[in-house]
Amino acid sequence: MEDKVVLKKMGRRKKLRERIRENPKWQKASTVILPLIFGIILVGLWQGQVLHRLFHTDTFTLPLLDKIGSIMADNKEKLLENTFSTLQVSLMGLVIGSILGYLMALLASFFPKFGQGGLAVIGAFASIPVVAMAPVFNNWTKDISRDASFRSMISKTIVVMLICAADMGLNAYKGLTNLKPYALDLMAIYASSRKKIFFKLRLPNSIPYVFSALKVSVPASIMTAIVSEYFAEYITGVGRQIRENIVLAQYSTAWAYIATACLIGIFAYAILMILQSIFLKRYH
Amino acid sequence: MREKMLNIGNKKWFSAVFWILLLLIIWEISAIVVANTKRIPENILPHLYQIIMAAFSGEKVSGELSASQAVLTSAGQTLLRGFLGFILGGVIGFVFALLMKMSNLLGKMLFPYLMLIQLIPVLGLAPIILSITGDINVSRVVIAAILSFYPVATNTLYGFKSVEKEKYDLMYIYAAKKHEIYQKVLIPAAMPYFFIGLKIAAPMAVTASILVDTLQGDGGLGCLLSQSLKHAMSIYTFWLIVFFSAFIGIIISKIIGLIETAVSPWKRRP
Repeated sequence: MEDKVVLKKMGRRKKLRERIRENPKWQKASTVILPLIFGIILVGLWQGQVLHRLFHTDTFTLPLLDKIGSIMADNKEKLLENTFSTLQVSLMGLVIGSILGYLMALLASFFPKFGQGGLAVIGAFASIPVVAMAPVFNNWTKDISRDASFRSMISKTIVVMLICAADMGLNAYKGLTNLKPYALDLMAIYASSRKKIFFKLRLPNSIPYVFSALKVSVPASIMTAIVSEYFAEYITGVGRQIRENIVLAQYSTAWAYIATACLIGIFAYAILMILQSIFLKRYH
Repeated sequence: MREKMLNIGNKKWFSAVFWILLLLIIWEISAIVVANTKRIPENILPHLYQIIMAAFSGEKVSGELSASQAVLTSAGQTLLRGFLGFILGGVIGFVFALLMKMSNLLGKMLFPYLMLIQLIPVLGLAPIILSITGDINVSRVVIAAILSFYPVATNTLYGFKSVEKEKYDLMYIYAAKKHEIYQKVLIPAAMPYFFIGLKIAAPMAVTASILVDTLQGDGGLGCLLSQSLKHAMSIYTFWLIVFFSAFIGIIISKIIGLIETAVSPWKRRP
């Protein structure tokens, strides 16, 4: 693209606008400044109640941002408690599910004939809506324990686990089998054993795919945890609190929980990005 | 004979069928175990034939409707709106990604927010949207649209960005106009990504529209679901809904796959 610009503009002085646009410093700064401007406009519209007029609503259903902030500060302990319960479910489900998914992908890559069909069936699980799964596992876990909070947690975790396992299984299988052209031939020339091929070629090749699976399943695990809280027996978690507060018509408290849920999602994603930059260093 | 057996074993569909059969067998065995140990087995794990029988029995569960009639009528209410939202969100998502690609300013301004919106649990917003719009049908459409919008938008944008520099260079050599570059290079390149986005969005849209039903007792699949869970009607209605929505989710992603092969000729190459 650079060459094209030079060819076109030869023999003519650039306009100020173009010179600014092509300045590398501005290019770097603009990726921060432009979103910031948009954010400030958005906050301004919200606080100035322009959004309310747009959606034909009032500050009761859509409270102002400073009100949400002050409620969050007031209810810190309750918020933390519910955040912990949601995080526990989504993290446990994510970890167990991802490990299971990866193991399934490993099995499928060892026995491709039967594995592919198995993965197709598991992929079908991923397209089952969460609302259909959550009540089933609620019923199944009724007898696990007498403690309602414990058995609710288990059933929520299983739902998250299934979603994450399907996602990880499909992606990791791609990573284990989508090798670069001739990579297998090269390994054959080196007369490497199956074990060597696996550890030196397939395993490293699957790592970027693992992260692309996690990029989907980290937000999905939080979303799934929140939805399955709606159906759970024991009333806990950020998602359930959103609903309970809406039923009580306490919209500003519900918004405080929504904001918390967003913060959880953003933090989880940020941590994932940091991990990715550490693990994928050698791939760049 | 042996060769024939081996041939069947090599077919792609065979292993899928094998796994499905295995799952069914596991289900039935556990159903037998549950039936012998639990007090109310149909709450936990009924036999599959019981569910199928419930689907075809003419017994009235709510008013004049039999179980499958009730499920299908309320599914019509719920899923049509969900589907409308899904289409709407898909189209808006695609246009949005296209605009972000075409305008540098817009792209840079909105990109971080597109990433952020993924992390907002939109389903958590469902009750709020219901109270803002006030009408359950409108909020079904809105939520399904929001949920379908962002996977489609992000994936399509990735698709636009995945086009290599060499292709732009080639189009420059051909003296292609801007709209031709979009038409011949960028949009076809983004198509597979667009369909990935749709496939992610479809089950979420179904989930969303069912979930919105449970918030207000106004008919619809979700409402039926919570009623049958509370034993207001036969528990088999619940199992029918579970299987039905799972079926819908799977079928939709299969249909999207078919549409994908229909509109992308390069996928049909053997």
